[in-house]
Amino acid sequence: MEKQTSQSRPPGTCIPWEEKRKEFPQIQGNEELIKQIWEEVDALGYMYIWQVLLSF
Amino acid sequence: MSAMEELYQQRLQRYVKAMRNEKPDRVPIRPFVAEFTAKYAGYTAQEVVQDYRKAMDAAMRCAADFDWDAIVANMVYVWSGLTQAIGLRYYAVPGVDLPIDTGFQYLEPPEDKAWMQPDEYDALIADPTGYLFNVWLPRVSADVVPPGAQATLRNNLSFLKGGMAMLDYFYALGKQVERLRNECGTVSAISGILKAPLDILADKLRGYKGLCSDLFRRPEKVIAACEALAPHLLHVALSGADPQKNVPIGLWLHRGCIPFLSPAQFERFYWPTLKWIIEELWARGHQTLFYAEGEWNPNLKWIAQLPERSIIYHVDRGDIFEVHRAVGEKFCLSGGIPNELLAFGSPDDVRAYCKKVIDGVARDGGYIMDAGAIMQDDTQVENLKAMTDAVHEYGVY
Repeated sequence: MEKQTSQSRPPGTCIPWEEKRKEFPQIQGNEELIKQIWEEVDALGYMYIWQVLLSF
Repeated sequence: MSAMEELYQQRLQRYVKAMRNEKPDRVPIRPFVAEFTAKYAGYTAQEVVQDYRKAMDAAMRCAADFDWDAIVANMVYVWSGLTQAIGLRYYAVPGVDLPIDTGFQYLEPPEDKAWMQPDEYDALIADPTGYLFNVWLPRVSADVVPPGAQATLRNNLSFLKGGMAMLDYFYALGKQVERLRNECGTVSAISGILKAPLDILADKLRGYKGLCSDLFRRPEKVIAACEALAPHLLHVALSGADPQKNVPIGLWLHRGCIPFLSPAQFERFYWPTLKWIIEELWARGHQTLFYAEGEWNPNLKWIAQLPERSIIYHVDRGDIFEVHRAVGEKFCLSGGIPNELLAFGSPDDVRAYCKKVIDGVARDGGYIMDAGAIMQDDTQVENLKAMTDAVHEYGVY
């Protein structure tokens, strides 16, 4: 099986940073930090729906 | 090192060595006890399903009283506090829909009311996570409304309470693992969850009947859906896996066996994506507990394709001696003690059967004592004691 890469929402993601980034006209500080925290918290939303599907 | 930690380390080494298909000091015992724990601790099924603290307390009591190497932190895994917070429709809950001493049940809707309709494969394949949030969840939840519908208090509360309840429960599971180690010296048997892509389609999306139709009417869509789900299931499995890579990821296998699928259907639909996930996990150093519910022996020739030691092959209704001949050189085996024997046999019957299994499959190591299937409240206490005694009497190397 070939690894899937073409989906709009890759594994671990609900709203990709690239999509969220468009909402900020400019970022004055450390963009990498904002991206990292966005992705960490976004992953919780992902965990929620997939755990409901798999575990509950 | 405290005496309890020493006991824990001894059990962990025994358990891990067996799982690597090696020979430890004796056969480890890892009973998957669910509603049995409630009966043993004096709780009803309602109490352990609705109050996870009682479920965890019951597991602790079993771990403290029996000399077991490993157990699952809470095998009565479904906490109805969480499922009711989300509003999930697919459960029958003891004390609500069922008598207080009947274990919780999964409900499958009629084929025409399946949670996923047959014309929705493309949407699932294109964006599995989006489909689950936007289409599936509003159907399986009595409270969640689909995008575009008017927001409701119950909708908002479903996400808030469901999310908070899930964090509460997972945090408690982590504490339970610590308690098992510190208070009982018992190893938490598994970490993380995996299901086969086709099982997800059958269990939670199309339903078994709907899926059976799809295997003939739209087989390419089924295959594409399995391929779309697989990377997500791999991701979820890795996110819950043991960072130390000691204990395996639990893989609960439902519909891959006869009579649900023929061997040819297994080879075409079930196996390619599941094999890929297991190989990806093993490439990262994680073993998978291949919990083969039902009779899987006709599929052993495909399972034997997996890398050596990548799985612990759990035997339910298959002939464990045949399994040992087929894949015992490659994989550790577990289980194989019939649940009906533990429910209706005598302790002597159980002891004799355990000896037969140990003599037949465990002489070179690579075997873990357990029942064939998860033990509910029909398992007799004295029979589980007999199974425990048998590993001490016959399982020492």
